[in-house]
Amino acid sequence: MRINPVLQKELKTKLRGWRATVLISCYVIFLGAILLIYFAGSGMLNPYNVSGFNPRLAVNAYNILTVFQFALLFIAVPAITATSISGERERQTLDLMLVTKTHPGKIIIGKVIVSIAHTMLLLIASMPVLGVVFFFGGVGIADIARLLLFYVFTAFFVASSGVLFSTLFRRNITAIISTYIFLGLIAFGPFFGYLIHLYIKEQAAIVSSIAYTPNYGEILAILFPSPVFGFTSFFFSGSIDYYSFDLWGTVAGYIDGYLAQQTGILRLMKPWIANSIFSIIASVLLIIISTAVLNPIKRKR
Amino acid sequence: MVVVDNITKRFNGTLAVDRLCMEIPEGEIYGFVGANGAGKTTTMRIIAGLLAPTSGRVFIKGIDIAKEPLKVKEFIGYMPDFFGVYDDLKVSEYMAFYAGLQGIYGEKCRKLTDSLLELVRLTDKKEAYVDTLSRGMKQRLCLARSLIHDPEFLILDEPASGLDPRARVEMKEILKELRSMGKTVLISSHILPELSELCTSIGIIDSGRLVASGSVREIAEKLSQTGLVKIRVADSEEEAVRILMEMPEVGEISSVAGVLEIRVSGREETYVKILKTLVGNDVPVVSFHPEESSLEAVFMKLTERSNENEN
Repeated sequence: MRINPVLQKELKTKLRGWRATVLISCYVIFLGAILLIYFAGSGMLNPYNVSGFNPRLAVNAYNILTVFQFALLFIAVPAITATSISGERERQTLDLMLVTKTHPGKIIIGKVIVSIAHTMLLLIASMPVLGVVFFFGGVGIADIARLLLFYVFTAFFVASSGVLFSTLFRRNITAIISTYIFLGLIAFGPFFGYLIHLYIKEQAAIVSSIAYTPNYGEILAILFPSPVFGFTSFFFSGSIDYYSFDLWGTVAGYIDGYLAQQTGILRLMKPWIANSIFSIIASVLLIIISTAVLNPIKRKR
Repeated sequence: MVVVDNITKRFNGTLAVDRLCMEIPEGEIYGFVGANGAGKTTTMRIIAGLLAPTSGRVFIKGIDIAKEPLKVKEFIGYMPDFFGVYDDLKVSEYMAFYAGLQGIYGEKCRKLTDSLLELVRLTDKKEAYVDTLSRGMKQRLCLARSLIHDPEFLILDEPASGLDPRARVEMKEILKELRSMGKTVLISSHILPELSELCTSIGIIDSGRLVASGSVREIAEKLSQTGLVKIRVADSEEEAVRILMEMPEVGEISSVAGVLEIRVSGREETYVKILKTLVGNDVPVVSFHPEESSLEAVFMKLTERSNENEN
């Protein structure tokens, strides 16, 4: 099997030398430091701690790490992909690729896979840090495998979005900003949409004097495009008491509460599954659009 | 090999290429000449399949590039006027990357890389990082890259631009080798002498229009039909002008620092006739100097004429 030449070149140049090693090491050390500070702050590392071991602390630490990784995925992947094509254009190397018999779609796919590969490298490298929670229980390997799968689909969507804006705009900075705005709208837009929906329904309920109760079907129908919605599946409610004041815990608990009321097929359609399906379909569409935009024969300039 | 059928390209209303038609037979080295901004690069990018024309079609080996772009790209090697390199790649890796994009891998790729680096005299730089190469070396590497899939047709956009005289000579030697290999080449330059000894035919482009096309000799001959003659006469300039104006072969007449410059339609026989007429009318001719139609003059004249028509 031949490796996509774009992927092969990018991996070779990005992983060569000391830069990649240092970057990965810093990332893992940073995650480890977060974990250590959290445990230290919770008194777990205190040898004179007399209150005993609280296993929920490990689950809380897991929640913090997953949120951190999720945020990193949204920050780092666009920075890589939003310059993937515009960077080639700025460097004046794009024409040299497009004049070959490689289909523009293959170039786009190569660029998307490169960023997913980089993300996966960082995520897999961080597994030993996440694995610390195994010592305490509460989080299983299947949970982490599901989380990784969700990260891959989300990275696929984020990378495809970045590549699209990179093909649309000639300048790196424009492409990066547009990608962040687009992803911000996709991630948080549906939540605003849902709040508006709630407001309208509640106003209607006041007028008609018939009480309104939200249901999971409505939540799913409005929030499914948002990766943040999908990510609520990975919030461990075992720590809800600790995080009850926290916005993230509240949102995740709210959605989880309505999901628990379902009995039919909607119960299977968990936030992460619904969002992953959306991510896959949307990514394929974004790649098709990027290919059409990049195709010089179809491009107008 | 290449047929360009009436292509036009507009960028936001600006006309870059205007109904351009040309044909390049197999084995031809076609020099594409024009001033900066004349439309050379746009035309070449359209022929290379990197830009869609607003109208018109391009055929390479009889295949419409708009219909089968990937098939056509198998036959094309393209070297742009400005290009970047990946500075974190070695020369051999750079070649392997583009070979991969052309579907060439493994042993075949290694052999081709070796032979092409030898052709462009970069064998000793095989393991050097691309960013350590000089400008001339990068140009040669880019040429080697464009040859990695052994294309039958090469598009070279100003291959010698920005090179020092020595690098220019080296590039010219490589292009001669390509000619001997039987490649069909479309090469552009805004410097005419650069192409005169290399090309079998030339096309002159001005304001997006092909104002002349043919073999170097054909174009020079065509232009010598309307030559420029400089005549210096002693004291009888007005009389000379009157006589010349009566002659149907004489076109535009101007006087520059005591020297009459006349446009003459016709060749040597006409020059003889003009000189005889002047002397026969007792005009004291001090000097009579028909200008040689250098390629440079051809270019200047053709582009000047097209500008006049435009105005």
